[in-house]
Amino acid sequence: MSMAILTDITRCIGCFECVAACKKTNGHEADKPYVFHINDGLSAHNWTSIVQRPDKHFVRKQCRHCLEAACASACPVAALHQTSEGIVIYDSHKCIGCRYCMIACPYGIPRYDWDKPVPYVQKCNMCYELVKHGKQPACTAVCPTQATIFGDRKELIAEAHRRIEENPGKYINKVFGEFEVGGTSVLYISDIDLGFLSYVAIPGTKALPKTTATAMEAVLPTFFGVGAVMGGLHWLVRRRQKLQRENEESEG
Amino acid sequence: MNRLDVFKSVLWTLTGLAVATAITRFIFGLGAVSNLSDSTPWGIWKGFSVVPGIALAAGGFVVTAVIYVLKREEFHQYAKVAVLIAFLGYLSAATALVVELGLPWLVWQPVIYWQFHSALFEVSWCVMLYLGVLLLEFLPVPLEETSWFAGLRRFLTKYKLVLVFLGIMISSLHQSSLGTLFLITPEKLHPLWYSALLPIEFLVSAIAVGPLVVILGVLVICYMYRKEADRKTLSKLAYLGFIVTVIYGLIRFIDLGVCGKLPMIFDGSWQSTVFLIEIALMLVIPIVLLGIRRLRYSQAGLAIACFSAVIGLGLDRANIAGVMLQVPGSHYYPTIYEVFVSLGIVAGAIIVFLFCVEHFKIWDVKWKDPRGNAEYCPRFDLSSDVWLGSPGVTERVKYSLVFVLSFALGFALMPQDRIESKGVEEITVQKARGGDTLFIDGNLDAFGALFDHARHVGILGQKESCVMCHHMNVPLDKESGCWECHSSMYTATDIFRHDWHASPNGANIVCDVCHEPQQERQKASAKECRDCHIDLYADSTADTLDTYLAVSYVDAMHILCVNCHRERAVADTTRAALAQCPTCHTGSQPDYLKAEMADELSRPAPNHVMMPPAVLQVKEE
Repeated sequence: MSMAILTDITRCIGCFECVAACKKTNGHEADKPYVFHINDGLSAHNWTSIVQRPDKHFVRKQCRHCLEAACASACPVAALHQTSEGIVIYDSHKCIGCRYCMIACPYGIPRYDWDKPVPYVQKCNMCYELVKHGKQPACTAVCPTQATIFGDRKELIAEAHRRIEENPGKYINKVFGEFEVGGTSVLYISDIDLGFLSYVAIPGTKALPKTTATAMEAVLPTFFGVGAVMGGLHWLVRRRQKLQRENEESEG
Repeated sequence: MNRLDVFKSVLWTLTGLAVATAITRFIFGLGAVSNLSDSTPWGIWKGFSVVPGIALAAGGFVVTAVIYVLKREEFHQYAKVAVLIAFLGYLSAATALVVELGLPWLVWQPVIYWQFHSALFEVSWCVMLYLGVLLLEFLPVPLEETSWFAGLRRFLTKYKLVLVFLGIMISSLHQSSLGTLFLITPEKLHPLWYSALLPIEFLVSAIAVGPLVVILGVLVICYMYRKEADRKTLSKLAYLGFIVTVIYGLIRFIDLGVCGKLPMIFDGSWQSTVFLIEIALMLVIPIVLLGIRRLRYSQAGLAIACFSAVIGLGLDRANIAGVMLQVPGSHYYPTIYEVFVSLGIVAGAIIVFLFCVEHFKIWDVKWKDPRGNAEYCPRFDLSSDVWLGSPGVTERVKYSLVFVLSFALGFALMPQDRIESKGVEEITVQKARGGDTLFIDGNLDAFGALFDHARHVGILGQKESCVMCHHMNVPLDKESGCWECHSSMYTATDIFRHDWHASPNGANIVCDVCHEPQQERQKASAKECRDCHIDLYADSTADTLDTYLAVSYVDAMHILCVNCHRERAVADTTRAALAQCPTCHTGSQPDYLKAEMADELSRPAPNHVMMPPAVLQVKEE
């Protein structure tokens, strides 16, 4: 069962209920103007934010919970890992603080406690503790206009396509996150382009973990291959030297 | 002061500064001393110290492979230097990681949490294993100085070939998997550097530059200790580096050509300039200098070629691991403290290197300080009991002093304001947008409420009152909602006042009137309200109350009243248009505000003020 969140940009009124609920549920302190922030509202204390776009558009930014998450594949200790619901969660006691997840994420979501001597990675966990017990995340629960809703991924994709078909011309004919980077659990439908959420306007449909998978599969063959080639060379060189010596001896 | 003295003093100074910075980083966090940020999570500590440090340690496995596997005995004199350089390269990379990682005390965790699809998992395993292999490879050298552990030394010397093989196998993996690390960032890494062949490019370039690093090391210590280098064997070794460098150049440019990225080299952007510099340092200069036999055999030619290749490789790795791996719009530049740590680690490694050269048999003999020890002898003539003057300061005392002074200087240089502010920016406060009266219109539909900002400032205490509402936050998260103070408007209220019913000054009724006698006095055992207050209930009301909580004032108005009116106002225009905020919210405002409001609404772009809304706090009993 893959759970998902669908956000309809046309319905969002920018009320910040989701942001407030997220802060309350996760017990985050008030944000301050830190020098380490990117100016998109997300921070170590803000796991979701509303990005204001021109013409009364409000876009909720949060972790996309990719189906094949680059961050989880990058993490050397599985501190970031995927649950059976498709949610990418974080185990702070496993984390070593390498921040490779922040490098790997195609949406620039994970944030870091730069000001703390014991820092952790901070990102949305889709309220896994609530979802585990059959409830819905705090942000979707409080949304007054049902702009952001929670449910099964397949059903939400069907719902998104239904809305697009029923309101011709209202939406861009695309469910953002259906195929991007191999599909994400947080989906958007919108009347404006949401390319600004990722580093490139149109992310590829190839899941990022696949880029390293080929190289990682070659690890053991390479290890023993190099050993074998070196061993063979060593044997050849030894043998040639031995033959040379024998030749010299027989000549001498 | 001779050149070695100056050199060592500089090294100790840098180490002192680095240690001071590292201590500050562990007490106050990464943000206190570095410019790392959410947009640039990896800075020069990874981009300069870790990744290039490991690349430059490649000399170890390349040279040992040539000596022990391919049996080229003429290079045997460089085996120990090569292993030592590799060991120190890895050790400095590991040290940099300890400073750089967020939670370095957990750096061993990849040992227990296995994660086969992570390139960094493989890298960390390789670092740990290869560090161990290099230690075992090098251990016989210091053990020569002592009679202890003779068995261990014999054992390690006997099975040297096994260690060499392990070293080569782990290194090939490791160098290439460092390239794999960056395969996952096709969108962030600049296309001139990103390639699906990154793992192969990393491995080949490390093999190319490995021997050159060893040559450079040999040349530098020959210069320091005023010895003659064996130029013939060095040139032969350099020729190996030359061949692999050519192969690397071919791979890189064919790859760029196949991907159609060649025109990008000359597009004039700063990235293309950096690329050209990198290619010149890493490929052009070494290939030209080492390709011409006469220059390869000259000391200057060899030195320049090796130095250029080393700098070029460092630049290439730094570009891939940091400079070209940036989020658009972020402007990372390292702080001076980051530079302290990066240089200090290199300096520390060189100090250990020089120590080994002076105290162990890296070559056939130990290379002492060229001045000898004469001037440090106590200047006291035993036979005549004459004091000949104070002895010169010993090395140990001198360098300790340098270290302690620079260590203290490092602390004095630490950024006090940055540590105190904990990374919180100072921002200038602007006068409220739109003047003293703000127009609050959360959903930007041009219907909103007026907020008398000036009046709030006046009541709450003028200038000092700003922080009561404003958290000086990032844009769009700037204010407390109205509900933070006016909570009575937003919280649900208990409509049954138990103490008033029991109080002699209130209803003055005894317990038994409501609660059944002989039973526990609970809500369940109490009478219904309607049993006494018949008037409160309309005749048609059949329901009993299931809660004593009434919705808050705001919710009563906004949900109970507005929703109903919104529907009816459409059908019946005589109904008040409650769905439009000004219908209620201007009614209580003074007249001058009404005028301002009309003014505001007539503007082409009204000044919308965002307000985070209330979160309903309903507490059930």
